[in-house]
Amino acid sequence: MSPEFEWQLIVAGTVLLLAATLVQLTALARRRDGYKPTAIIYAATATVFGIAIAGRWVREGQGPFMTMYEILLSSVFSLCLIFLVVSAAMAVARAGAFVVSPLLLMLCLWLVNESAAATPLPGSFDNPWLWAHVLSGKVFLGFCMAATALAVAMLLRGMLSAGRFARLDAAPEEAEQSIWTLFFVAFICHSFMLVAGSVWAHSAWGRYWSWDSLETWTLVTWLALGGLLHARATFKNMPAGLGHALVVGVFALAFLTFFGVPFLSIAPHKGLM
Amino acid sequence: MSRLLKKLASLRLTLVGMIALAVLAVVGSRNPDIGTGVTIWPIALLVFNLLAALLSNKVFRTQTGLLVFHVGMLLVFACIGLTVLTGYEGRVELVQGGAFDASQVTTMKQGSWHDHRLDDLEFFQKDVRVNYLPNFIRLDTNSTIQYRTAAGEIREATTGDQRTVNINGYEIAATFNKGFAVLLHWTAEDGREALGSVHFPSYPSFDWKQVTTWTTPAGQTVELELELEEPVADIRRSWTLGRTDLPFEVQIGRSGNAVATARNGESVALEGGTVRVEGLRMWMAYRISYLPYLSWLFVAAMLAIVGLAMHFGRRYVLPADSPMKPRVMEADVHVARV
Repeated sequence: MSPEFEWQLIVAGTVLLLAATLVQLTALARRRDGYKPTAIIYAATATVFGIAIAGRWVREGQGPFMTMYEILLSSVFSLCLIFLVVSAAMAVARAGAFVVSPLLLMLCLWLVNESAAATPLPGSFDNPWLWAHVLSGKVFLGFCMAATALAVAMLLRGMLSAGRFARLDAAPEEAEQSIWTLFFVAFICHSFMLVAGSVWAHSAWGRYWSWDSLETWTLVTWLALGGLLHARATFKNMPAGLGHALVVGVFALAFLTFFGVPFLSIAPHKGLM
Repeated sequence: MSRLLKKLASLRLTLVGMIALAVLAVVGSRNPDIGTGVTIWPIALLVFNLLAALLSNKVFRTQTGLLVFHVGMLLVFACIGLTVLTGYEGRVELVQGGAFDASQVTTMKQGSWHDHRLDDLEFFQKDVRVNYLPNFIRLDTNSTIQYRTAAGEIREATTGDQRTVNINGYEIAATFNKGFAVLLHWTAEDGREALGSVHFPSYPSFDWKQVTTWTTPAGQTVELELELEEPVADIRRSWTLGRTDLPFEVQIGRSGNAVATARNGESVALEGGTVRVEGLRMWMAYRISYLPYLSWLFVAAMLAIVGLAMHFGRRYVLPADSPMKPRVMEADVHVARV
């Protein structure tokens, strides 16, 4: 696949996510569900980005692991796909689509502004643990995003006039339970991501932990995830709204760790000559 | 005693420990004056808190998934502690054809319980081959060593990237740091002779500055500059670092003023003796580490994750009327809503 065609696919995916955002915002304003057209758009976006990733993979001979462009590309694909899967298994999670759509659109707009030039994967990085580390990281972020989107919906449900979130109004307890189920899965995946990352780092750089910015903030994110689950068990009368706000806070921390820290620090995930 | 144990097992104390660990990890990692060693205090608090919870809370112990997770976490802390106390990490450079010398190792980290056995290691450097893609992108590193096993057998192995060699428990790994060296033969005015190597800066990181200083056995400090008379690398093509049959010369002088130039086999007279260039070699930097509890750390961490997954399965996956569903009183800790 030529770089030009890849670029066209990414533009097409961005336009699709813009459409999903408009559909969701319109549905919210008109007090309608709007999930079905959004799901179709998500499926189309995941397909388009999946083709772009596969084409790039064949052309460059390596997976999308190295540059910010590749990380954003694979993240939009995985987040889209995970949200579709979660929404299929857990209908109440669909209420969060109005949060997911603009978030994915924002990642796409960031993506189109990044350089598409590939950086070869150093031999020391090419290890099955890299796969385990990256995949568990993507699944973690996908589940954390789904929990957060639902938490935002629950928060807004309490603030806005009744009827805007019919899906949540019908089953508020199920929605509450779903937030914490998704959050717990995210915690498990994050734990595995940390372990797989340490094994990979030991083979790639000869150390399993070095307190660089990315590692430190990943540990802080893990502590925030575990801490919130722990706080919920400790303070049984914690207001549901506070719990939702904290879920959003943990996701914001995870998001900044994923997309901010690696490219602001001394390139911890880049090769050395 | 029981009251103290219950206070120590407090869930609120766990939260305090977790917040303290997060704060000190960030502060310590950003401030070398403080260092990440300060995280030992919140970790110690969490360990005591967890031990107290395990001892004082029966319900906590009946939740298999949670129990496995927390025991796994205790084992993780224990393995980290043992790794720090017994571990060793050092760096050494070895010239092609040269033997490992424990006295040349620079120790980076050494646990107070580590029994220093580096003198028992025997290995010597053979060929070095590092493949590069265009634009100096390193593809793979291949450094061959010959070594003696604990059983006395002589073996050969190639290290680099993810391949390491384990000798008597020490893991030997070639790093990205490597370069050229020249073999020098020194003949003093009184006839005494010595053979050694001088390592130039890492290549190709410092291909533009292949200069180093050398103090002769007679005590004179001179500057050596390696001039390769053929290009080693082509930025537009793939290439391999490791050839030692390249034509070269060594400029010998004092602080930038060349006093003599010597090609392979040529000699230069210096204060107190004569130096002869005996050939071009590669040097390779190795990381030597001893981390006997690292694999146990992995096992403990995986055990903790399995525990989490078990707990998740019990709470969220099994149907509500399942006989497996935990029967927990609302007042019990560590369970109900996690």
